Order: sequence, then structure tokens, then C-alpha cells
Amino acid sequence: MDTQSYLPVQPGVGMQENFLSLDDILLSHERLPIRTECAFPRLGYLEKATDAQDIPQGLYERKRRVLSVELPKVYREGWRTVFNADPNVVDLHKMGPYYYGLGSQMLHFDSPENPEIAQTLLQTFIGRFRRNMDSSQNAYNEDTSALVERLDCLEKFLFTSGQSGLNGFQSWEKGRASQLTASSLVLNYRKRKMADVPP
Amino acid sequence: MDPSEVEFLAEKETVKIIPNFSLDKIYLIGGDLGPFNPGLPVDVPVWLALNLKQRQKCRIVPPAWMDVEKLEEMRELERKENAFTPAPSPYYMELTKLLLNYASDNIPKADEIRTLVKDLWDTRIAKLRLSADKFISQLEAHAKLDNLTLMEINTIRAFLLDSLNCMYKLRSNLLPGSSKGQFTDY
Repeated sequence: MDTQSYLPVQPGVGMQENFLSLDDILLSHERLPIRTECAFPRLGYLEKATDAQDIPQGLYERKRRVLSVELPKVYREGWRTVFNADPNVVDLHKMGPYYYGLGSQMLHFDSPENPEIAQTLLQTFIGRFRRNMDSSQNAYNEDTSALVERLDCLEKFLFTSGQSGLNGFQSWEKGRASQLTASSLVLNYRKRKMADVPP
Repeated sequence: MDPSEVEFLAEKETVKIIPNFSLDKIYLIGGDLGPFNPGLPVDVPVWLALNLKQRQKCRIVPPAWMDVEKLEEMRELERKENAFTPAPSPYYMELTKLLLNYASDNIPKADEIRTLVKDLWDTRIAKLRLSADKFISQLEAHAKLDNLTLMEINTIRAFLLDSLNCMYKLRSNLLPGSSKGQFTDY
């Protein structure tokens, strides 16, 4: 009854990313500070050793052995303790809208802190789960922008699926499920209505 | 699954009616529907009962559980227990909505019944959320919940499955042997 004609490609599982997934493409454009380990002759932009340059993370993938990357500060020790203390107060959208996705991709880069990063990602998700569930399942017919603005993209996706369950149930209970309503696509065409046509 | 589909499944439940017409036994694919005699109660599926009621050919008898005292007891029991108590009927929400919309003149104290059923629903949904939260926060792999009705499962299904998917992705990060990232072929 509710099939879509367009099925978006889901982001990849864990450390993999799906090449065609829009979410993964966007997150791989987050910039990372790096350090080059050796000289690149004739490449004007990148110079040896101590320069910290930003390049998009997707580009980095292929140059693994010549560069070393520094973790963005959100995944470092300081922020990790904040997340472990109380994940609910953090504005994850400001910390990079793809906190979870980018965090999973960072695990490619063989940093000694990898297990802690992975653990922090998981614990943050679990800590925020309760708040996200309650807000998505209880906010009916109100302006949810205040609730949604502090959520990461993954959590926004969960929020919309919770809202769709809630809206479906509420519209059924009001009896709107058995009434014919014009589709929102058709309303956007702004065609003339029968009532407006002069007889 | 749509709530309308759950309602469709609920309409298969039987309810007692008192017809005001007479008809011999009818043989349908789903089963036989007994002879109809005016004034004598007969069990029919809800879809037929609503249809006859709309054509003013019968009077619907509320089911045994649709009674103010019984529902109040169930509500108190539900509030006390931590686990789910057996629901009044596996389709109590749908039957309440349908019967109270179309046959409220045959059901005494319809408004109170509506409020009581809504309270019962709210308590059960709150318990469901609590147990989902516990399930996720303790990273359990397996959970069993008894006495849930299809409508309750339906409202939480999309959200819970999506969050479990996300959790699976994050948990696979912790596995030491996870692959270093290959581009899958499409």
C-alpha cells in the first residue's frame, strides 16, 4: 500500500560505504586535516611533513600509505569524554551532520584509538535513542524543527520513520484513512478546480 | 503495514447482532453464516455487522469486554503490571473505533469506553517504548514480548527496525575482522 517508486540506496554497513548512496557521497566530502609523509614532487599544493592540509576524505582513501590523517576534534579524547558523560546535550548537527557515518569511515585509518572511537559512537547512539524515540513518536502535528535541528543525519532518518508511523496511526484513528484526499504532488500542480471553472 | 490493513484484518472478528429481517443460512467462501431470524441473536463477522447496521437491518450487541467496569479493571491491572497483560481482544483498538463510530447508539456509555480504551492503549504503548529502550541500551540480541496486539506492533515496527539496522552498522565497527572497505559492484 505504501510502496515508493524511488528507493534510495542505503548508506553502507559499518566501515563500508555504498558507492551510490547519497548519504555516503555527502559524508565523504567532509574535509579532514592530514599530514603528508613524503614529498610530492611537482605538486604545488601539498608540501612535506608538518603542513596540515585539508583534503576531502573520499580523496584520501586512495593515498593511504603516503599520508597520515589527524582525527577531527569531534572524535578525539576531549569530546569522547563529553559524549560518554551525557550524549543527550550535544548538538550533533553542529558537530558535522554526518557524525556516525564519518566516524565509521575514520576507522579505516588505523589509529590506535579505533576501539574507543567505535565504542563511543555506539554508546552515543544508545544514549540518544530514548530521547529520539520519545520525540519522534509523540510530536504530532507540531513544528518539529526545534527537535530535529540537534540531530545527526542518521537520527533524522530515524525521526522521519517514527513520525510516519505516528502520522499513519493518527490519521487512521481520525478516519482520514478511508477518505479520498488529493495527493500532495497533484496539489502542487495548481490546476484549476471544478469549483473555480465558470459554468 | 498500513493501519487500514490492520483494520481490515480486525473486521474478521465475530460479533453478536440481532437482525430485524429473516434469511436462510448463507454459504460464503469464508464459512457459513447462520440463518437470520428477527429478534434472535446470531454471530457474524464485523464487516457484515457494520454493513447491516448502516442499512438499519440489525442491532449490534457490544462484546463482553466492552463494559465500563471490566475496562476499568483491565486498565488498573495494566498500570500495576510491568509486563503486558492479555489485551481485551487481539483487535481492541480497531473494534472500539469501528463499533463506536457506527453503532454508538447500541453501546451504553460510549464516551467513557472510548476514554478507557485510549488510556489502556497509552499505557501499553508506554510499556512498549520502555522495553524497546531497555532492549537497545543493554544491546540484547533477542527479546520476547507476550500479549501485544498487531496495531501496537505496527506503530513501532518501522522505527524499531530502522534503529536496529543502524545499531547493527555501528556494532559491526567493533568487530576486529571487519573488511577495510570495498566498493560494491552494482
